[in-house]
Amino acid sequence: MISAFSILFLVALLSISLHRSIWLKPTALLALLVSAYFTFNGASVILTGFASNESIRLFELILEVVLFALVLHIEEDITITQTLFVGAASILLLQSVNILSFVISFEALSIISIVLVSYIQTKEQAEGAVKMFIAAALATGILFLGLMFYVIGGGDLLSAVESKNIFEVIGLSIMLAGVFYKLTIVPFHGWAADSYALVRHSHAAILTGIAKTVVALASFKIFAPFIMANIELYVPLLATLAVVTITLGNFLALFQKSIAKILSYSSIAHAGYMLLAFMAVKSEYAKDGILYMSIAYIFMQSAAFLVLDILRKNYNISTLEELKGFASQNRIVAFFFTIQLFSLAGIPLLAGFLGKAVVFYAGVDAGLWYVVLIALLNSALSVGYYAWIVKGIYFDAFSSKKIYIKIALPIFAQLILFVGTVYFGIFASTVFIG
Amino acid sequence: MSAIEFIFAPLVLALVLSLVTRGNNSLSKYISLILFAFMLSFSINLFSQLPSKGYLDLGSFLAVKKFDFILTLQVDQLSVVMLVLTSSLLILVALSSWSMKNQAMYFNLLIAFSGAIFGVFMSTNFLWFFIFWELTLVPMYFLVGIWGAERRVYAAVKFFLYTHVASMFIILAFFLIHKESGTFDMTLVKESLLLSPVLIWWLLFIGFAVKLPIFPFHTWLPDAHVQAPAPISVLLAGVLLKMGAYAMIRMVILLLPETSQQYAWIILALGLITLFYSGFMAIYETHLKKMVAYSSISHMGLVVIAISTMSYAGLSAAVYEMLGHAFIIAPLFLIAGFLHHKTGSWQMQDMGGIMQKAPYISAIFVLAGLGALGLPGTMGFVGELSILISAIKADGVWMAVVALGSMVGAGYIIWMFRRVVYGEMSEIVQKTKFSMNPMEFLSLIIFAIAIVLFGLFPNILFDIINPIFVQYTFLGGAL
Repeated sequence: MISAFSILFLVALLSISLHRSIWLKPTALLALLVSAYFTFNGASVILTGFASNESIRLFELILEVVLFALVLHIEEDITITQTLFVGAASILLLQSVNILSFVISFEALSIISIVLVSYIQTKEQAEGAVKMFIAAALATGILFLGLMFYVIGGGDLLSAVESKNIFEVIGLSIMLAGVFYKLTIVPFHGWAADSYALVRHSHAAILTGIAKTVVALASFKIFAPFIMANIELYVPLLATLAVVTITLGNFLALFQKSIAKILSYSSIAHAGYMLLAFMAVKSEYAKDGILYMSIAYIFMQSAAFLVLDILRKNYNISTLEELKGFASQNRIVAFFFTIQLFSLAGIPLLAGFLGKAVVFYAGVDAGLWYVVLIALLNSALSVGYYAWIVKGIYFDAFSSKKIYIKIALPIFAQLILFVGTVYFGIFASTVFIG
Repeated sequence: MSAIEFIFAPLVLALVLSLVTRGNNSLSKYISLILFAFMLSFSINLFSQLPSKGYLDLGSFLAVKKFDFILTLQVDQLSVVMLVLTSSLLILVALSSWSMKNQAMYFNLLIAFSGAIFGVFMSTNFLWFFIFWELTLVPMYFLVGIWGAERRVYAAVKFFLYTHVASMFIILAFFLIHKESGTFDMTLVKESLLLSPVLIWWLLFIGFAVKLPIFPFHTWLPDAHVQAPAPISVLLAGVLLKMGAYAMIRMVILLLPETSQQYAWIILALGLITLFYSGFMAIYETHLKKMVAYSSISHMGLVVIAISTMSYAGLSAAVYEMLGHAFIIAPLFLIAGFLHHKTGSWQMQDMGGIMQKAPYISAIFVLAGLGALGLPGTMGFVGELSILISAIKADGVWMAVVALGSMVGAGYIIWMFRRVVYGEMSEIVQKTKFSMNPMEFLSLIIFAIAIVLFGLFPNILFDIINPIFVQYTFLGGAL
């Protein structure tokens, strides 16, 4: 059957033969448009274990838009192919409804991510890729260990999660740990900051912006009933993990000099905000919260890393020091970057604010206002480093010589992501469907 | 144009203009002036449509039913007074920024600010109120950080962070209100609906106290005031601080009257501390603009004292003093900034004898100074007297100490006259030519006229202000 998944998967395979031809990028873009059309018309993967609903369809649509922007931006042929694969695997993961389909598509996404970062040209990229590989292997190992326990406990792989006995609870808890490894929740965050900062920025955009968001959303869908059933055990645990992740991510970000490192740590902090939705699963707003947070995050984080890619490739900028006075170099890129940074910081009228607001409200609704207060103060603190980057861009006089560079397609990609960030900062009714 | 267009049109306009203008292009300047004039006529027009009681509905937009996230625009007398004040100040600020350098972006940011601030005063949905409340920070951050004085970056980042942290308490309070009462609509929420009014009161109080600012949450303001360019200081004092006072009246006093009554003594005590602490700091300062900044905080202390009475007279006096403060402190900031621009110094000992070189400007400076110390015939006198009376009525005769606050004010203002305006002419002043852009001078004259006009005929304003609080039953009567 024709669906977004099958189109992306087939075109991804086909695109290998189109490498080194000018048709690759148009084909990939067209494939994304067509798959967006099918998503819009409600075609889902017609396989057992996969099902779609309104909110998943909305997120898939957004995913395809973001991938469209990514493909516009990316220059390497091989990365374009892999982006399509990532899209296909993401759709699988998003639509998975039972444990087996979740594990399989989780691994598919994981493997593609590893292949993605294995396109290595420098020593730093090798370091990032190896760390990423080890982390992904560990996460897989943990996930499968959990799966074994779950099966021992008599869990049915082909139905939604259940936790009737202690083995199943242990199994699912271990699986959740494996998922948290991918989500870079403290204490499983060690690899993330280095990997995200060291691999190519366009790859990092896919890893943090897309893969992480998709995993968060899909695992919420799968594990929410389980957390709900064991709420006394999980609320304190998740609250602690979330607070530690947010705080550590933000504090470490404050001390970084490289912009990529700052954004990597901020990505860890954002994983903590997403975890608040897991914690607040009791509230009816939790699923709206994680959906909104994911939508906001996929736009702003991909856009921010793509800007870093522009900065590094065209202007040879990678630290805060070199960024000084960038607004006078290229004010359009500077403007887009600023908007996305403010969105990450949670400034209103941008998607990042509403994403955080709904998640935080879910926390308050679940009766955990003190946890939310800590998260809120952290979020305010994070303005410190985002505003500091913006300060570098606009307030400092620029030092180096002015370089005139024409960058058309990446700017267009930024424009798409900018519109997304602003649109979802104002028109919230699109997200609150159910 | 309808109400919602006055919020979003400036934001879009600012975006479009920032694409087509750059450098010293003066297109944005003229457009901003026209826009602000439209805003003023719109706000004045609202007066005639206001019902005698309750809110005037200006429409609801972008509704998300489930989250009660609806952009509801409603105004009452209080918000319309704030709208008129804001839009007239924006015009004057635009005039006094006439010769700003790199002005295209400056005016674009000013236009963006005007949209956000209109949103603050018009929206009655807590969440949208918060959105606009936060949005005002962004243009301010850039305005202070790019056009400010030597330590502008420090001041801008401190201002942004400090007020943003405070806002987190506010939004948490809003979330709690929604959880407990089921709505974000501030016209529907009643204290009796809330389960934990004390917690909410404290969160809101601390959040708004930072903006107002109330001692000990005031430390961001002297930095921001001093480093900001003079017209932006006017905006900070005249609009941003008023946002805090407006929110304090509307969301703390009127929304949670019982808890506020219970903690009125805390508001009163902090108000008195703010009044005297910043008064004495102003005496101690040798830095001209910092002195004005502390004097500004000191006047906000008076407003806080008036709010703490929780009486009809007190709240009316608070609103009058808010307007008076805006018109009196503005020329002081503008002239302090002008003197620094010309002499290159902030220190009062470097000035002196300005009167002989620039008599007209000095005259306005003196008039505004006298307004600040409460000379009869100026807005300052009426404001301070009405606050004094309402405080004595509400809290007893010992509140006469408030009058001492004015005496402290007299101390630093008159000493400042002696050091800056009169006295011996310093070398720097002798060498400097004090010529002012006519547009900037025009704005000063308008401020001066307002100080005297509303000082001699305070009933013009009180007739507008008094009906605000009629609908709420408080002790005491109108002044």
